[in-house]
Amino acid sequence: MKNVLKVFKYLVVAIICAICLIPFYILLILSLNTPQRIFYQGNMFVPDFYFRNYVDAWNKSHIDIAILNSAVITIVALAIILIFGTMAAYTIARFKYKFNQFVFWLFLSCMMIPGIINTVPLYSLMIKLNAINTLWGMGVVCATIALPSAVFIFTGFIKSLPREIEEAAIIDGCSWFTAFWKITFPLLKPSVAAVIILNGFGIWNNYAQAVFFLQDSKKHNIPQALSVYFQQFAGAHWNLMAATAVIAVIPVIIAFLLFQKSLMRGLTDGALKG
Amino acid sequence: MIKTKKTGLHTFMAVPAFLLFSLFFIYPLIQGIGMSLTDWDGLSHANFIGLQNFFDFFKDERAVSDIGNTLLFALGSAPLLNIIGLAYALLMNEKFKGKGIARVIIYLPAVISPLIMGYIWYLLLQPGRGFMFHALELVGKSSWLGNWLGDHTAAMIVLVLVNVWQYAGMTMVIYLAGLQSIPEELYESAKIDGASYWSSLRYVTLPMLMPSIRINVVTNIIGSLAVFDIVMALTDGGPGYATETLSIYIMRMCYGSKTGYSTAVALIMFLIILIPVIISMRLTREKE
Repeated sequence: MKNVLKVFKYLVVAIICAICLIPFYILLILSLNTPQRIFYQGNMFVPDFYFRNYVDAWNKSHIDIAILNSAVITIVALAIILIFGTMAAYTIARFKYKFNQFVFWLFLSCMMIPGIINTVPLYSLMIKLNAINTLWGMGVVCATIALPSAVFIFTGFIKSLPREIEEAAIIDGCSWFTAFWKITFPLLKPSVAAVIILNGFGIWNNYAQAVFFLQDSKKHNIPQALSVYFQQFAGAHWNLMAATAVIAVIPVIIAFLLFQKSLMRGLTDGALKG
Repeated sequence: MIKTKKTGLHTFMAVPAFLLFSLFFIYPLIQGIGMSLTDWDGLSHANFIGLQNFFDFFKDERAVSDIGNTLLFALGSAPLLNIIGLAYALLMNEKFKGKGIARVIIYLPAVISPLIMGYIWYLLLQPGRGFMFHALELVGKSSWLGNWLGDHTAAMIVLVLVNVWQYAGMTMVIYLAGLQSIPEELYESAKIDGASYWSSLRYVTLPMLMPSIRINVVTNIIGSLAVFDIVMALTDGGPGYATETLSIYIMRMCYGSKTGYSTAVALIMFLIILIPVIISMRLTREKE
């Protein structure tokens, strides 16, 4: 009976994993088929290994610029989230000032407001700031939307760290401010990984804000470049579409595999206890 | 205990985040309320028109059916995401070989752009040409597959399923984190008391999991009600406006130079999101 249950468990897990991998499999097969081949015809498990698709996709789709743009936006946004967010979380977690409590309350309540709500008025602000069609502008917008949940995760994590680690540094002559950068900040790695995974990929893949703030085709990010490409071919040229998508997905998967190990620790140590 | 100096740089460490957030989030939010009372087109002079935009919204059949679509999508998506996410988490919390890899694989769809996901499913479901059509044809059931993306009900179901399938891993990770912070002793003492798997799930796991349940329920409600990418990629809001959601409507109105009107729609959407969120926060708090 126990063995039957065990086999059943493995079977269920295998099926779930297979379902999750289907799109990746389809993308890969499609991207390696010749343009003439129809996806479901012939052997579905052996593609044509037609690598020209990748060359054509790279040359025709401007995906290189889009990847660069997405990378700049994500780096700008994550830098803001990590520096401003951890600083705010530190003082909120350690000092019960009225202002800190107010900021935390503000972030908590605004976690319930999706970015699309204020996107239109934000648009007119961005025009005034000359931030439309700029990568830094888009980075700042994405950072602002992700800031509340990031502060929430960081605050929970810092609360789970003993206050003594900073107090020891202060006896050695540090101020609370320098103790944060020297002692606490390097310890935040797991929660940083959690924030990068939970928010970073959303920024990399952002489409809802990009359609407003990045209208110039030279500033398009990955989802925009793909959607333009897709609309251009209106569902034809799936092999090129798939090759482009694979190129766009590779950096994301590498980043995910790098950060995933710390994700669980970042979430369990604090974030959900708060 | 070290005496904390009243002032010092640490006092102001929340200021940069607060200023940035105020400028790019709170200020536009408040400004939006003012804008929603005007006929501003994004360029020329704005005239104050009172609540006219709000009246126009409820007179527009397309807008009202967009509310229906948005609610329908969330009604399917949010509960399914939570149930499947929790089931995955319970399974992935068991001890077995290859658990780490399985978790990574289940989360993987969530890191991909929903737009790419939408395109893949579009390819699979294309009427007459897609993969699903031919798979069903092979077993002689091609009549089952009509034009799914061209039919309102079927398209909504497809949208919900694709969304759930993509983000179940994200919900799972939050539940897993919650499960792992439940102390092992609780299960042991439940076992000593003769509790079955189901009763320890009911009386130990679920109550202890309440903080994760709250986070997941609330974020899934918000995410589902604000859905954008997946609909754009799969149906483009069509056929006609049959699967258009409120966030797409806001974007299209803004592009159509109805800036004032689209901020009014955003405020209405805000209220639509706020009500279920407050209700679910209340419900999860009481049981804690």
